[in-house]
Amino acid sequence: MNVLVCVKRVPLTGGKIVLTDDERAISTRHLGFTVSPHEECGAEEAVRLIEQHGGSSTVLTLGPPEAEEQLRDMMALGIDRAVHLVTDGSNEWDPQATATAIVEAIEAQPDPPDLILFGNESADAGNYQVAIRVAHKLGLPVVTGVKGITIENDLSVRLEQEVPGGRDVYVVPMPAVVTVKEGLNLPRYPSVPGRLRAKRKPLETSTPDRPQPKLEMVKLTLPPGSGKQTEVLGNGAEAAPAVVDVLSELGLV
Amino acid sequence: MLFATRARLLIRLVQGAAPTQRSGDVPRRVRNETEIVLGQRKLLQRLGPGLMHAFIFWGFLVLVPTILIAMIGIVDKHATLPWLGHQGWYALLVDIFCVLVLGGVLAALWIRKVQRPQRFEGSHLGEADLILALIATIVISLLLWHATRIALHLNEWPASWSPVSNALSHLFADDQTTRVLERVFVWIHVLTILTFLAYLPRSKHLHIFVAAVNVWFGRTRARGRLEPLKFDDPDVPEEDLRFGAGTAPDLTWKQVLDTFSCTECGRCQDACPAFATGKILSPKLVIMGLRDLVMAQDTETALVPTAVPADMVWDCVTCGACVQACPVSIEHVDHIVDLRRHLVMVDSSFPSESEQMLRDVERASNPWGKAQSERADWAAELGIKVLEPGDPAPEYLYWVGCASSFDERARKTAAATAKLLRNAGVDFAILGPRESCTGDPARRIGNEYVFQAFAEQNVETLNDAGITKVVTGCPHCFNTLANEYPDFGGDYEVVHHSELLSSLVRDGRIKPTKAQSDTHITYHDSCYLARHNDVVEAPRELVSAVGQPVEMKRSRKETFCCGAGGAHMWMEERGRAINEERVREAAATGAGTLAVACPFCTVMLDDGVQSAGADLRVVDVATLLSESIDGG
Amino acid sequence: MILVFAERSDDELFRQALAFAHGLRDDVRAVGIDDSGGYSPDGCGAALARLVSEREPRAVLAPGTDRGNEVLAHVAAMLDLPMAANCTSATLGEPLTLTRVRWGGSLLEEARLHGSPALLTVAPHAVTAVDESADVELVPAATDARVRVSERVETVTAGVSLADADVVVSGGRGVGSAEGFAVIEELAELLGAAVGCSRAVTSAGWRPHTDQVGQTGTKISPSLYIACGISGATQHMAGCKGAKKLMAINPDNEASIFASADYAVIGDLHEVVPAISAEIRKTRGAG
Repeated sequence: MNVLVCVKRVPLTGGKIVLTDDERAISTRHLGFTVSPHEECGAEEAVRLIEQHGGSSTVLTLGPPEAEEQLRDMMALGIDRAVHLVTDGSNEWDPQATATAIVEAIEAQPDPPDLILFGNESADAGNYQVAIRVAHKLGLPVVTGVKGITIENDLSVRLEQEVPGGRDVYVVPMPAVVTVKEGLNLPRYPSVPGRLRAKRKPLETSTPDRPQPKLEMVKLTLPPGSGKQTEVLGNGAEAAPAVVDVLSELGLV
Repeated sequence: MLFATRARLLIRLVQGAAPTQRSGDVPRRVRNETEIVLGQRKLLQRLGPGLMHAFIFWGFLVLVPTILIAMIGIVDKHATLPWLGHQGWYALLVDIFCVLVLGGVLAALWIRKVQRPQRFEGSHLGEADLILALIATIVISLLLWHATRIALHLNEWPASWSPVSNALSHLFADDQTTRVLERVFVWIHVLTILTFLAYLPRSKHLHIFVAAVNVWFGRTRARGRLEPLKFDDPDVPEEDLRFGAGTAPDLTWKQVLDTFSCTECGRCQDACPAFATGKILSPKLVIMGLRDLVMAQDTETALVPTAVPADMVWDCVTCGACVQACPVSIEHVDHIVDLRRHLVMVDSSFPSESEQMLRDVERASNPWGKAQSERADWAAELGIKVLEPGDPAPEYLYWVGCASSFDERARKTAAATAKLLRNAGVDFAILGPRESCTGDPARRIGNEYVFQAFAEQNVETLNDAGITKVVTGCPHCFNTLANEYPDFGGDYEVVHHSELLSSLVRDGRIKPTKAQSDTHITYHDSCYLARHNDVVEAPRELVSAVGQPVEMKRSRKETFCCGAGGAHMWMEERGRAINEERVREAAATGAGTLAVACPFCTVMLDDGVQSAGADLRVVDVATLLSESIDGG
Repeated sequence: MILVFAERSDDELFRQALAFAHGLRDDVRAVGIDDSGGYSPDGCGAALARLVSEREPRAVLAPGTDRGNEVLAHVAAMLDLPMAANCTSATLGEPLTLTRVRWGGSLLEEARLHGSPALLTVAPHAVTAVDESADVELVPAATDARVRVSERVETVTAGVSLADADVVVSGGRGVGSAEGFAVIEELAELLGAAVGCSRAVTSAGWRPHTDQVGQTGTKISPSLYIACGISGATQHMAGCKGAKKLMAINPDNEASIFASADYAVIGDLHEVVPAISAEIRKTRGAG
């Protein structure tokens, strides 16, 4: 079978977020980067599915030249090849533009994928919609928030979606689009031979044109501070009585 | 004959092993041979057993010519070695050393059978008994042969020069019985030697040939330096790259030699903090396990868990006490790290709780997983220069390290050090967010690949900034910067903060005015500082400047680890806690303050104080110094 | 007219969406899809899309729940319109201006939406909910749905469910091991609380992902959240923003979690948490 997984390069933000001077981006100086958490689980799942059922896997990203690092990292997990839709890194792509570019790249692939995996939402923008747009453009069914994937036979896949109180099950014919959530699996730690091989795996690049955004970011702002005054209850075990006083006030003791 | 076949096999095993660089530095090697082999320096670290062995060893050296004499004597009962066979002084030496060797054998038997020290747990004692019996037979038969020769007036040397043989000769008359006995004794002597020779390379007594060679090839460069692996060798196809030791053929020839040199003496086991706290790791058993697989010529079986159980590999804190204790220069830490390298880099198999640290080091550039942009927050109010690209190089680059940047207890040391240096007018700066992890935790856990990426990155940052001198408060950073970065193009003069601070105190640029000579302070040596890098006195100078020092028994190069090394800061510990063990030792000195010179020791020992419930204040020497200054 | 999709998986969030809609100063109609045949995201989306073509609202809103975001995204894809998820505020206009949430709430984006009707989902806890629910008009789901739930598997939670709990006690890296969570579980039991954890804990394999509080884990909104040995990375704070009161226990007085804490205890959780448990027992025993 043929699995394609889409990922996005996002910064690792740490304890607080700092903006650039023009307030249109996060200042990423001194920040590390990674693949968005839901998507990393998607890539791991793709590798597992191919290990189990045979076939090949592809990882795709729409991102700046530096995003090649994330593609190589995903290939180090075992993904066979990568597609890099290169952006200039200075302008954001809104969900519709992203979906259009991805669809074009998928349609240009020699072998149509049986399963297209996305993260449920990206860690940074969190728009929740690229996968659904891609599915509609490709005329494919789509299920979101999936935490369990089982290929039933050549034709259909059983998907489990986490909901309050349990899991909802969908059985869907392939080809299909699936968005996954972290917790689907625990991504493996890549081996060094895997990383070295990944450096030489095929990487196809193209530079799509960016259309005008319909969801247009004007600027970014930090949420207002809560204005909270933190009440220090004490140091170490001696603070216990003060803590219990607070708990009593809250009606818990 | 038997000896030769076996010897050929062993040589082939060594020659066929993976390559490693152990040449050069000849004067140092000569010194090692002289001190360690001839002088038995490491063995004499324990006086009793050391002397026992020294007598047997020196005896062996003295008695080597007697083997030739005996063989000549078998062929022609009237012949001997020219010149030497006639020397009275030599005969005297022989007699004396025969007695000493016998004494040694008896002492050895007493140690093994009566005293039964714990370090022999796991060793093959039966083999040792056989060897002792053979040695005794060789020596007794030699004395008796000499005695009978004297009785038959066949001695080529003046009999009065060999008092023992002479005394024994009175047991024999100059008659036919004695003539027969003379032949019997020389045959027993030679046959025992030949048996010994054949048995030798099949037993751990092999060490008598291999140990001297192993000592010659022992490391002469910094003890704390690990040998790098090459991942991008143009001459080596990728499938043949060495990622540490997975199967026996992966071991380097030095490692193979190590396994042949092991005498199962167990001194390493005795010194190991993991073994001392109930874990299964015994450096001795690691080497023995590897030896067995090598000698079985097994090329397929995975070394872990067959030769060495996985828990042993992970229990190691890389403190080096085993290497220091070993009389035949076995380098156990290199073996364990190479086993780790294969497990981590090829099998992705390592304690799951360390995975987060590995991912954090790689993605966030520090094992705490905090944002590098926050790395210099501790220095915010102190007016310390943060070096930006293009700034002129300061005299000293203060390398703070991840622990002192991000851990709340270790941060106090950074603040104290920075203030002391600033007030003393030292020209220094920090790199702030551009300082990433040196890569030590990644390297020690076995991920050499990630380590090298950091080494190259940091060397580039330091070289671009024109840095020549580095001062650091963290012995792990110190070790990596000073000893390991030169392999990656980084050559800096690196000093530990205690060295710089103590020289400033000596020069009068820092004046401890509020020193309290009645405060009892015991100083804990960091393994990476004292044992791996010989920095032992400078921190003590600082302690003496501010209080009353009192030493623990296991101090200086014999220090007992705090438990954080070998990436253990990020691993769960089985068995009893190493840090609590050390805290109890510190508390037993009666001191109220436990001084350290390492951020890992700070955290581990403070944790140990909490969990052991000790009444000790754990504090870095820089902080102590800072507190003893007016306005500090 | 503002259409509000009555996605009822969380009633309070639906009423927050209503409040948001009222803030746009136009008529508000609440519409629900009859999914008695089994929930279908694209079926709901198609039904809503048809309603949009029929009734031409100025905006369509949905609560920012998983289902709300999903259904509205289907509407957006079917009608090829832009959609803004998790908005905290909006003002009608040509174009509509809005503020929405990024990074799970640690960052805000001000944006313009060029499309009509405007499709928006409402960020949880951005506005106060209306007291009373509105009348919801039920329309049938589309029959040609491609994807439909075929069965529901109930999960049995031992103890209180994390998402619903009124009090949550969490442990982070500082706990040190899976066994170390015993003190956290002890305190949770005394308080009738659910146990949560940070991402570092699930990555280390000490607790299952279902216990993870954070941007990619469970988002909680308890009355009280006690965070032990958690430094306060933005991805974790995104999961507990909804907490009414936050108490942080951490040995590092510079930890970023304290910036968002109502109550702080500086200390090691291994000492503090058992002490709190002991004090609670003492108080209850005496009282």
